[in-house]
Amino acid sequence: MTITSTPLDESTVDFRDPLVRLRTLFDKGTVKTLTGKDDSGVLTARGLIDGTPAIAYATDATKMGGAMGVEGCQHIVDAIDAAVRERVPVVGVWHSGGARLAEGVVALDGVGQVFAAMVRASGRVPQISVVLGPAAGGGAYGPALTDIVIMSGAGRIFVTGPEVVRSVTGEQVDMERLGGPEPHGRRSGVAHITTKDESSALEEARKVAKLLGAQGRISPADVADDRDLSASMPPEATRAYDVKPVVKALLDEPGVELHAKWSPNIVTTLGRFAGRTVGVIANNPLRLGGCLDASSAEKAARFVRMCDSLGVPLIVLVDVPGYLPGLGQEWEGVVRRGAKLLHAFAEAVVPRVTLVTRKAYGGAYIAMNSRSLGATAVFAWPSAEIAVMGASAAVNVLHRKKLAACPPEERETLRAKLVEQQLAEAGGVNRALEIGVVDDIIKPAETRKRIAGALSDAPAARGAHGNIPL
Amino acid sequence: MAEEIRAEMVANVWKVVVSDGDTVEDGDTLVILESMKMEIPVVAEADGVVTVKVHEGDVVQEGDLIAIIE
Repeated sequence: MTITSTPLDESTVDFRDPLVRLRTLFDKGTVKTLTGKDDSGVLTARGLIDGTPAIAYATDATKMGGAMGVEGCQHIVDAIDAAVRERVPVVGVWHSGGARLAEGVVALDGVGQVFAAMVRASGRVPQISVVLGPAAGGGAYGPALTDIVIMSGAGRIFVTGPEVVRSVTGEQVDMERLGGPEPHGRRSGVAHITTKDESSALEEARKVAKLLGAQGRISPADVADDRDLSASMPPEATRAYDVKPVVKALLDEPGVELHAKWSPNIVTTLGRFAGRTVGVIANNPLRLGGCLDASSAEKAARFVRMCDSLGVPLIVLVDVPGYLPGLGQEWEGVVRRGAKLLHAFAEAVVPRVTLVTRKAYGGAYIAMNSRSLGATAVFAWPSAEIAVMGASAAVNVLHRKKLAACPPEERETLRAKLVEQQLAEAGGVNRALEIGVVDDIIKPAETRKRIAGALSDAPAARGAHGNIPL
Repeated sequence: MAEEIRAEMVANVWKVVVSDGDTVEDGDTLVILESMKMEIPVVAEADGVVTVKVHEGDVVQEGDLIAIIE
C-alpha cells in the first residue's frame, strides 16, 4: 500500500464524493489517501481525529451507487488490517448498494472477505460505521458487524429493498420506513446513534473515535468537586425519574449515549470520567419502571462486551425492581437473552464498579454487575435497598397463611407490622453490607471520588475476545 | 406523521397531566401511570399537539393507546 497525498480540489462539490466525506471526518489538512485514484469505488485514507490517528474507508456513491467490487473490497480489507497493525480506530463511511452485480460471484467473495476482516479486527481496534445513504445487502451487514453504527437522516439500511419486499410479501413500504434512522434507532437496534444530517453524523463518529481511540488515564486527584448525583432524583422512593441527568452528573462532560431510543429502560453511554473513557450502564426507571427485559438485557450485554474487548472500564448505576413479567417476555426469550448479560458481566475483566442508588431486587440485582459476578467494587447510597423482592411483596409470599387466617378487619394492621419487620430483617442495605455483597455505603456527594478511587486501584485489563453483535 | 404513544406495560392511569389540544415538546410528561408500585411518567417523544385517549383510573394493557401527538 502506498501513501499519496492528494491536493484539495476546490471544484469538488459533490457531497457524495468520498474524499469530501473523509475530509469532514478527519482534522483539517491531515487526510492522506492510502489508495490512488481508481475505479474500485472505495477510497481509503489515514488522518487525525481530534489529534488521534485513525484510518478510514469510504464507498464511492458517485460510481455505480457505491457498489462494491473485488478491488474496492480489497482496499477495505487492507485498511482494516492496517488499523489492526497500528492499533488505531477504523471508520467506515457507507453509501453503497451492495456487491457489484456485473462482477458476479467474485464481488460476493470480496464482500465476504470484508466481513472476515471486520471479524478479525473485532475487539482489537474500535470499528465505527457511518451510514450516509442507502447501505443494502453487503453494505448493510458491513456496518452491522462493527462496534458502533451511526446513521444520518439520509441513511438507509436493509437487506432487501422495497421492490423485493413488495414482490415477495406484498408489503408496500418505502426505504425510510423499511430501513431509515427511525426504525433502526428505535425498533431494530441496528443503529447506535442517529443524527439529522451528514455533518452531525460524521461529528458523532469523531467523538466516538476519540473516546475509544484515546482513552486517557484515570486521575482521581482531578475529581475535586463534590457534585450531588442525587440532586436530579425525586425524594419519593416510589416516583420514577429519568436517569440520564444522573449519568450526565456522573461524567466529566456529557457523553455519547448509544441506542438512546431502543430499549430505553437501560441507558448505555460512553463518556469521560476522571479524565478517562468509561462505559456507563444505568437502569432508567422512567421506562418500564427500570425493569430489565429481553431486549434491554441484550443491549447492555453487547455494550459490556464491547467495552471489555476495547479495555474500557465500566460504571453501573443500579435502580432496578426486577425482570419485566409476562407471557410476551418469556416468549421473546427473556431467559436466553437475559443470560447474555449475566455472561457478559461475569466474563468481563475490565475494572467495573457498581453503585446501587435506590433498589436492587432479585435476579435483576445479580445481573447488574453484582459482587457475585465479580464486580471490582459495589457501593450503595444510604437510601438503597437490596433484597430478593420489595418488602410488601415478600410479606405476601412469606406470610400468606398468617394473613389469610387473620380476621379481615385486622389484616391491614398485621400486614403493616409484618412489612416493617421484613424491612428491618431483610431490607435496606445493612444486611448486604454485613455479608459483603456491598463494600461500602457512600454519600451521593462523594460518589465520583469513591468510584474514581476504586477504578484507579484496579489493575488495567482488557478482555481477550471479539465483540459479536449480540 | 402522527405519533402514537402506547402503554409499555400493564398499569393504572394515576394522573392525566395534559389536556386535549395542548402543545407538547419532546420530554414533556403527558400522563402518570402506576405500575410495579411505582409512579411512572409517560413522556412525549415528539413535538406536537396532543390528544389524550385515557382517563384517570383506567387500566391500560401493554400496547393500549394512551395519547396521539400530531
